Amino acid sequence: MASTVIGAGITIEGEVTTDDDVVVQGTIRGKLQAKEGLVVESGAVIEADVVAGPIRIAGQVTGNLTSSDRVDLANGARVIGNVKAARITIADGAQFKGNVDMDV
Amino acid sequence: MAKGSSETVLGKSVRIRGRISGEGDLVVQGSLEGDVVLRGDFTLDEGAEAQSTITANDVTVAGTLEGGIQAEGEVTVTASGKFRGDVRAAQVAIEDGAVFAGRLDAEFDLPAELTEGASKRR
Repeated sequence: MASTVIGAGITIEGEVTTDDDVVVQGTIRGKLQAKEGLVVESGAVIEADVVAGPIRIAGQVTGNLTSSDRVDLANGARVIGNVKAARITIADGAQFKGNVDMDV
Repeated sequence: MAKGSSETVLGKSVRIRGRISGEGDLVVQGSLEGDVVLRGDFTLDEGAEAQSTITANDVTVAGTLEGGIQAEGEVTVTASGKFRGDVRAAQVAIEDGAVFAGRLDAEFDLPAELTEGASKRR
């Protein structure tokens, strides 16, 4: 289990920075920066630019995603924004609007 | 933890600048700059730092908190806790070894014998 979990009832408005894994079940507005993995669970809402290691989205994201590794948009994900990562998967059932930059 | 409520843990390396609000318990192990309004319990772990005004149910300070606390329930400053600011709560406990600088406003009714004694003296 990740050391940082932002629970379903919680809203953070501002800047979140961490060196560890983050699991988001709640809402973040502002900016999110994680050195390690980020999991945005179903029901979570991110209105922020995100910079992280591997990113897995099953919730809702409005903002640009930048990953040093990979971005996985799971079934049920809804992403509006640009994705910059070396690898990306978009699962059947994921909604995505934006540009993909795989840095080739 | 009540059923249906969630727990949020902000790990040691987490730094937050901003406002946190919502429902559920919150544990801060890293650093926090900004106000917290919570329907749930707030815990600032040992080693954690916060510059915030905390509004919550029960509040436990084992780290360093500068700001204020407004609690529906109990405020505890543990032996490792350092607090500077004003506290308003129904119950306040300051453990041996804790550092506390500020104002304490605990709302409680005096026991009957004390109020009687006071009225007799008058």
